[in-house]
Amino acid sequence: MNRRQKTLITTVCAALLLIGVIASALLIGDEWIATNFEIKNEPPSLAHPFGTDWLGRDMLARTVKGLSVSIGVGVIAATASAVIALILGMLAATMGKAVDNAISWLIDLLLGVPHLVALILISFTLGGGLKGVVVGIALTHWPSLARVIRAEVMQLRSAEYVLISRKLGKSRWWIASRHILPHMIPQLLVGFVLLFPHAILHEASISFLGLGLSPHQPAIGIILSESMRYLTSGMWWLAFFPGISLLMIVRAFDILGENLRKLTDPHSAHQ
Amino acid sequence: MIRKRLRLPIVWVLALTMLFIAGCGAAKKEQLMNASADSSKKKDELILAIGYEPEDGLDPTIGWGRYGSPLFQSTILKRDKDLKIVNDLATGYEVSPDGLTWTVKLRNDVKFSDGHPLTAEDVVYTYETAAKSGSVLDVTVMKSVEALDEHTVRFTLNHPQSTFVSILVSTGIVPKHAHGTDYSKKPIGSGPFQLVQWDVGQQMIVEANEEYYGPKSAFKKLTFLFLKEDAAYAAAKAGEVDMAFVLPNVAKQQIPGMHLVIANSVDNRGILFPYVKAGGKTKEGVPIGNDVTADIAIRKAINIAIDRKKLVDGIFDGFGTPAYSVADGMPWYNPETVVADGDWAQAKQILSEAGWEDVNGDGIREKGSLKAQFTLIYQADDSSRQSLAIAVSDMIRPLGINVKVEGKSWADIAKMMHANAVLFGWGSYDPLEMYNLYSSKTVGLGWYNTGFYSNPVVDDYMEKALQATTEEEALGYWKKAQWDGKTGFSAKGDAPWAWLVNRQHLYLVRDGLEIGQPKIQPHGHGWPITDNIVEWFWKE
Repeated sequence: MNRRQKTLITTVCAALLLIGVIASALLIGDEWIATNFEIKNEPPSLAHPFGTDWLGRDMLARTVKGLSVSIGVGVIAATASAVIALILGMLAATMGKAVDNAISWLIDLLLGVPHLVALILISFTLGGGLKGVVVGIALTHWPSLARVIRAEVMQLRSAEYVLISRKLGKSRWWIASRHILPHMIPQLLVGFVLLFPHAILHEASISFLGLGLSPHQPAIGIILSESMRYLTSGMWWLAFFPGISLLMIVRAFDILGENLRKLTDPHSAHQ
Repeated sequence: MIRKRLRLPIVWVLALTMLFIAGCGAAKKEQLMNASADSSKKKDELILAIGYEPEDGLDPTIGWGRYGSPLFQSTILKRDKDLKIVNDLATGYEVSPDGLTWTVKLRNDVKFSDGHPLTAEDVVYTYETAAKSGSVLDVTVMKSVEALDEHTVRFTLNHPQSTFVSILVSTGIVPKHAHGTDYSKKPIGSGPFQLVQWDVGQQMIVEANEEYYGPKSAFKKLTFLFLKEDAAYAAAKAGEVDMAFVLPNVAKQQIPGMHLVIANSVDNRGILFPYVKAGGKTKEGVPIGNDVTADIAIRKAINIAIDRKKLVDGIFDGFGTPAYSVADGMPWYNPETVVADGDWAQAKQILSEAGWEDVNGDGIREKGSLKAQFTLIYQADDSSRQSLAIAVSDMIRPLGINVKVEGKSWADIAKMMHANAVLFGWGSYDPLEMYNLYSSKTVGLGWYNTGFYSNPVVDDYMEKALQATTEEEALGYWKKAQWDGKTGFSAKGDAPWAWLVNRQHLYLVRDGLEIGQPKIQPHGHGWPITDNIVEWFWKE
């Protein structure tokens, strides 16, 4: 098996894992996480592989549901972030020196502030909840991708076919949409997938801190922060399995992004 | 060049300062470590982790101590362990036949901890300040207060209100000569203890007040650590405290050398239902009413179907009691109002008779175009409220009523509470709370009567209770307002609430420390337990 095949297989596995989680979350109804006091606080068993919580809810079902909420938040926030990055990156590279300076300054500014701090401020200002988290993540995660896109566009701008187009009198908009944008799509896709784990982790941490989603939306951060209260009484499974699952999902996205980059990048595409 | 030369000394100064600060921090830690509760050495000291930091400070005129003893101040009257009203600062009080004038005689041997005698002037000052403060302490019923002589005070009320006695029970007297702007941080009072040191966010150290007129405490020094319940439990486990307040989920675990003290309470949780149909709006534009919960069949069916014992066992590990009213076990509680709960057959029958049937087979009943579903909101930070809300929702879903559960902040709840069911917690030593929750005069007033409940018969009984001049008379009317055989605001009558549970308050106490049997505790886990602290002692 060559390296390309290996890469393809891991990619498919990671994608399957993610699709599996989302699909099973859609299949699991509310009755799966109904309270049942008779089986509360049970450690992992065959019937409940992740154990049950203090209300007798199955932790596996809760974890899967929580992960799908997190993935949902991640998709929306990462998409928004990628769109912002694309627009600002292109603007910076094509609209002249003043705009470039302004946008570069903004990128440096946001890169200088720790993500989590900015995120907490934004989310808190918007009153928490789903809106706060999504807007917060979208507004804080675009700078690194925007910088990549800006550099790429700069390079493309001096490519010969772009110069020829310009000489032929094509408009800026025409050049941007016909020549530059198609080149950006692989970059954008990879950037989007790599933003994703960040978004999920930050969603989890901000929900954990109590500034994110509200507790009746069982996102993984909520599940983890709730479990804190029960760790002192020895119920380790409440935090262990959801935590591990979160890590696995994040890692799966990471692998997916890395591999996509490898597969699309001309330097490594044919290895 | 000058700059460069300056830079070095600045760095040095900074470095030294850092060292100094770090040194202080270390010293403090050491002190704390030394203070760990070694009972063999320090029998006259206690370290307690039994409450949250009082955020609004220690000033009774803005509400300190209203749920328990003010510790640093003393009150005119107090409740003994059977909740009977007895004298504290007073030697007696009289109410005029029209209920408008209350005359209180004070003891003449009381001194504040700074040595100044406590006189009628201080009482007048306290109540006038409280009336002006407009805080949670509600003394709006008081028209005027005056000192007749050095040890006699006369209160004049706007209208008769028998529950005024509870204000006399809950308001600590502050000294007129020493009540400044920083009083809430440095209180001076006539209570059993005086404040020595308050490290904000960490601890409060108090010492026995030498001037206290009552029985002397067995302890010279108390240290209150401000920890959350789980941290308090950890501290108890490490042997660092003599007493810790804990949550039910850890209470069953044995800690060597400590035992569990269980205090019953009226610290209740219940569901408020909007009582009127939807359509109205408050002045602020908040919608009022809910068509589903306005139907008495829905409210009664839920009240009867909920298995309260199961909630207590399931969520509080048995550390609680089923609640059937806002004031279970209080002198004004009417025990006839208990409904036989967990009765599915009857709950279903009530719904069917009222026309609620599951026509389309989706598991939720309908009546005409109305679906039997509503939203139940609870305060999102409170895990036990969340658990209760979720459990209740799951419990009554098979009945054909769909309750959606949402956690919100108090600010958001205020905008939704007139049109949605809300999980509230109450519980007080003052029957006025009951009045405020059920009277048609308090509809939409703050957190009171948010469901817009009103019943003229209930109103009439409660007004009579307020106008009563003796406690017995008032108690009779309070009980009738709950259930008089025909109507009332309890679950047997109009059922505007479904009360669920009373939480028991749990404390881990070091073996040998005798704290007596605490009286029924009001709302608020922690401070109220200090009510009888002068009676605590170490058993040999």
